[in-house]
Amino acid sequence: MARSVWKGPFVDAYVLKKAEAVRESGKNEVIKIWSRRSTILPQFVGLTFAVYNGQKHIPVNVTEDMIGQKFGEYSPTRTYYGHAADKKAKRK
Amino acid sequence: MSNDRVIVGSFAGAFGVRGETRIKSFCADPAAIADYTPLYTEDGRSFTTVVLTGQAKGALIARVDGIVTKEDADALKGVNLFADRSHLPNLPDDEYYHADLIGLEVVDTGGTVLGHVKSVQNHGAADLLEIHGPGLKTTVLLPFTLAAVPTVDLAAGRIIADPPDGLF
Repeated sequence: MARSVWKGPFVDAYVLKKAEAVRESGKNEVIKIWSRRSTILPQFVGLTFAVYNGQKHIPVNVTEDMIGQKFGEYSPTRTYYGHAADKKAKRK
Repeated sequence: MSNDRVIVGSFAGAFGVRGETRIKSFCADPAAIADYTPLYTEDGRSFTTVVLTGQAKGALIARVDGIVTKEDADALKGVNLFADRSHLPNLPDDEYYHADLIGLEVVDTGGTVLGHVKSVQNHGAADLLEIHGPGLKTTVLLPFTLAAVPTVDLAAGRIIADPPDGLF
């Protein structure tokens, strides 16, 4: 069942606090968070969060198209390596 | 096996009884494996033509030169296929093959060695370089962005990184 709209998106308070502190300081800093359930808000765009996956923190650069999704979606708890073959990586 | 070859797939056994074989492709676009011919095995055998004829569950069906019977195809089951790195198409600026990045040395802007690239991962956000270093307990993931990785020098085998605070 979907969350009621009147409640607004859920975000753990400490995530908001940390994000605000980093934005105000203007530092190039990774924000370590454990809250995988928090919703990605528009004010997080451009920040880098390190989202815990139960073992380590996975860096997540927040972009506009991630708004509304949860942090946990970008920090998988299982790793599959596979083969490099002809796979490409783009530096953005 | 030569270092300038990359693994692109493997044989997965026979398909039918007329010499067709099943190939598991590791390429981003599975059908692209046929474009990278000739393909080589670890023991030096080469296959110059690979004609894809269909798809089976989890594999491509192909007719490969030198494989005529079901027994030939079954004998090659599990054998890896390699392609020459030079046969992969050239990429635009700021785009790199995982195979080229893996193994590069990572140094910070001060020249201190941080480690080596172990793998390249993408979990939906941005590409990440997994770095394994001598002083690190576990591997560290570095975002593959212009800000965090200002220089990739493939010729020198080196990446210059400017990791955000709190990552290493």
